[in-house]
Amino acid sequence: MSVKDIKKTNLPIDPRSAILLLFIANVVGFMQDSLLVEFATFTALTILLVYCGCVRQGLKWGLIFGLVLALQYHIFLIVPPFVAASFTVLFVYIRKMLPCLMIGTIIVRKIHMRYLLLALRKWRVPQKLIIPLSVTLRYFPAIKEEIMHIRDAMKLRRINGIERFECLVVPLIVSAAGTAEELAAAAVTRGIDNPVKKTSAVDIRFSPIDYISLAAGVLLVGAAFCL
Amino acid sequence: MPETKQSRILKGKELITIGIFSAIYFAINFLFMLLGAFHPIMWIFMPAFIALFTGIPFMIMTAKVQKPFAVAIMGAITALIYFATGQFTMVILITFVTSCTLAEICRRATKYNSFWGNTLAFAFFSLGMTGSPLPVWLFRDDFFAQIRDQGIPADYLVSIESLASTEMLFAMLAAPFLLAIIGSFIAKALTKKHFKKAGIV
Amino acid sequence: MIKIHNVSFGYTQEEQILKNIDLHINKGECVLLCGKSGCGKTTVTKLINGLIPHFTDNCRLEGTVTVEGKNVAETQIYELAEKIGSVFQNPKSQFFNLDSDTEIVFGLENAGASPDFIDERLRVTTKTLNIEKLRRRSIFSMSAGEKQSLAFASVYAMNPHAYVLDEPTANLDEGAIEVLRAQIGKIKEEGKAVLIAEHRIYFLMDLIDRAVFMEKEEIVRIFTREAFLALSEDERIKMGLRTLGKKSVCSFPHIPGHSAEALTVKNLCCKIKENIIFEKLSFSVKSREILGITGSNGAGKTTLLRCIAGLIKQSEGELLLDGRPLKKKERSRLCYLIMQDVNHQLFSDSLWNECELSRTEAEEAKIEEVLRQFDLSELKHSHPMALSGGQKQRLAIAAGVLEDKKIVLFDEPTSGLDYEHMLAVSATIKGLAQKGHIVIIVTHDTEFLRCTCNRTIVL
Repeated sequence: MSVKDIKKTNLPIDPRSAILLLFIANVVGFMQDSLLVEFATFTALTILLVYCGCVRQGLKWGLIFGLVLALQYHIFLIVPPFVAASFTVLFVYIRKMLPCLMIGTIIVRKIHMRYLLLALRKWRVPQKLIIPLSVTLRYFPAIKEEIMHIRDAMKLRRINGIERFECLVVPLIVSAAGTAEELAAAAVTRGIDNPVKKTSAVDIRFSPIDYISLAAGVLLVGAAFCL
Repeated sequence: MPETKQSRILKGKELITIGIFSAIYFAINFLFMLLGAFHPIMWIFMPAFIALFTGIPFMIMTAKVQKPFAVAIMGAITALIYFATGQFTMVILITFVTSCTLAEICRRATKYNSFWGNTLAFAFFSLGMTGSPLPVWLFRDDFFAQIRDQGIPADYLVSIESLASTEMLFAMLAAPFLLAIIGSFIAKALTKKHFKKAGIV
Repeated sequence: MIKIHNVSFGYTQEEQILKNIDLHINKGECVLLCGKSGCGKTTVTKLINGLIPHFTDNCRLEGTVTVEGKNVAETQIYELAEKIGSVFQNPKSQFFNLDSDTEIVFGLENAGASPDFIDERLRVTTKTLNIEKLRRRSIFSMSAGEKQSLAFASVYAMNPHAYVLDEPTANLDEGAIEVLRAQIGKIKEEGKAVLIAEHRIYFLMDLIDRAVFMEKEEIVRIFTREAFLALSEDERIKMGLRTLGKKSVCSFPHIPGHSAEALTVKNLCCKIKENIIFEKLSFSVKSREILGITGSNGAGKTTLLRCIAGLIKQSEGELLLDGRPLKKKERSRLCYLIMQDVNHQLFSDSLWNECELSRTEAEEAKIEEVLRQFDLSELKHSHPMALSGGQKQRLAIAAGVLEDKKIVLFDEPTSGLDYEHMLAVSATIKGLAQKGHIVIIVTHDTEFLRCTCNRTIVL
């Protein structure tokens, strides 16, 4: 879901298989009950991350995985139980989520928004959902900008306390409503309401890596159920 | 104006309005999601905090778009972004589908323009986020197996079990519902004070 | 091509925005719509691209508008989109996608054009408009000028037969205006009909065939290019129009009084995330003086203002008031910044409360006086967001004055203003300087600079 300048047009992995892998990761993460499957999933995803060019992120997740394991199996045995207990919930959850987070990393870092939306379109997700979704994603950076301006203004007026909430919300909403109006005018005058089937200037295609990773995913699902 | 079939269909302008306010909704939501990582208690009541603070974007969106599926789209966007970034499980997809369906029924029954109808819709909608902490209960056995493995004394085990107790589950579900109603009243107050005069709704 | 026949219009049944408008625009013709703010220019552009009546509920529209023989009111807006390209005022809120390529082909994808055809149009658009450097870019890395250029390109890609532009230069610097001028020249050569509603008109003088002057809901006069250029300065000023030539004769020089008190900037350098925005910047401003700062979009003008106002820290150098160095905190206490979008700095539910907002002990007489000074006292119970752009700006200034701010900074105070309003802002600013404030203005409006500032530095 990268919003940076597009440097390369070729995708490391088809966004459709990335989304399918997310489903698979969910199933594996929550169904498996064996350390073996957990390690196999982790290794497979690390290879995929490195293949997609996310070497540093691969290392990062590896470190987190190792840290969580070390904490759970060694350090938690010696720290006060109360401390250990309140973190246990979080750590069990992190281990279950790890496969999803790793695939999420690929989507966030390596797949441009444009292709992700195209994948949804190929799956015949209705335009009525794709249009607002792309507006949402496009508006996030603007929200950040708006909030920065509003906070600047508040600093110069020395506004403190509970008033800050109101002073932040009011200009934010007013500006959002204005943007919605202007953006809509720009979009309808470029035919967004046209009922014909939309086309796309770019295309996405499955490559060997997509088949390999999906096959690996299916195997892991099988293993998660059996072991 | 006569209620034609055409006027019930979401047009570009409304879709964009939904998109913009969903972005604000999601931004607030995400903020509390991050806070939820600090402590399990924060996480369990995250849906409630979110409900309290997101009343404004939700209520303004529903006031501006008085048509079917507006709320469903807002929910779908939130669930999809969380899902696609790998931050949530399929559980949240299921809770969102359920909560959005209930919210849409509420709005339909109250013809989309009633304050109470939209408030109730928002209360149901806010339950969608409970899909995030819900796995604590769904995978309860896993957690306790883990805890027992670590040799934690029995009295501590009880205190943690209380965190994942049935009462807590009830509180986790009831809190967002109630705080959503408060959140919706905050939105109403600000609408009266500001947004109406500013010509937004 | 475009025929507007006896049109009257109002956003509500009672309101009157346009009265008996008659206008024909032929193929290959470039027509300028000019007149004061609120004369109905923008409304006329909306009649053509179909935003009226398709985008406005419950409006009142009499008369007919046809584009290539099709009645606009009876044609779907997406069908009109293939005939008419629209470029709007705000570069920030016109793009729909996150990257430039998708944005350029957006209209064609909506119309269901074949991928090969889209490719071809993308290539032609890039070449004709000379926008290779805009390709494959993230929208968020673009300057206002680049965004506006992209908006134009995305309309051009659809190859419409006519273009309507609604104040396209409101947020642009001179360089970007030059780019836009070249682009309009291109479409005119291609035989498209062009209608531009604008306040800043100097750059259009070689392009237009006719100029339509509007006043109070009506078309008052239609000039040929020659007749329009032959207008005397007095006539132009009487009509409330901005300068026709690049060099403005407008000058009401502000004479700074004598004062020793001064803000000095010494070797200032600012970085944002390791990127040097500007460095080794030195200048000084006396009180009662107005300093103008200009420079192209993205030169760091806004960053400089934020640094002076103590909103960000400088990485090197210092700022002194009367020789005493100022810390970041002190600066934010002394300075007040009128932002380009004043909507960000109005918080309260009435003008009166806005003035009271940050003053602990409310001195009613003082508020009353300041509101009167800024011509706002009759509106004191209105909601700030219900005001006009100019009124909002004056209210923002009034709030700053009430906080006894010594230094007042302005970021693009005249974007999108007509001649009269520009002069009004200029007068307000001069008033502040006379009262002893130090005033610094960042702007790329050269006409405004010339009639307001004592000195100008280029960043």
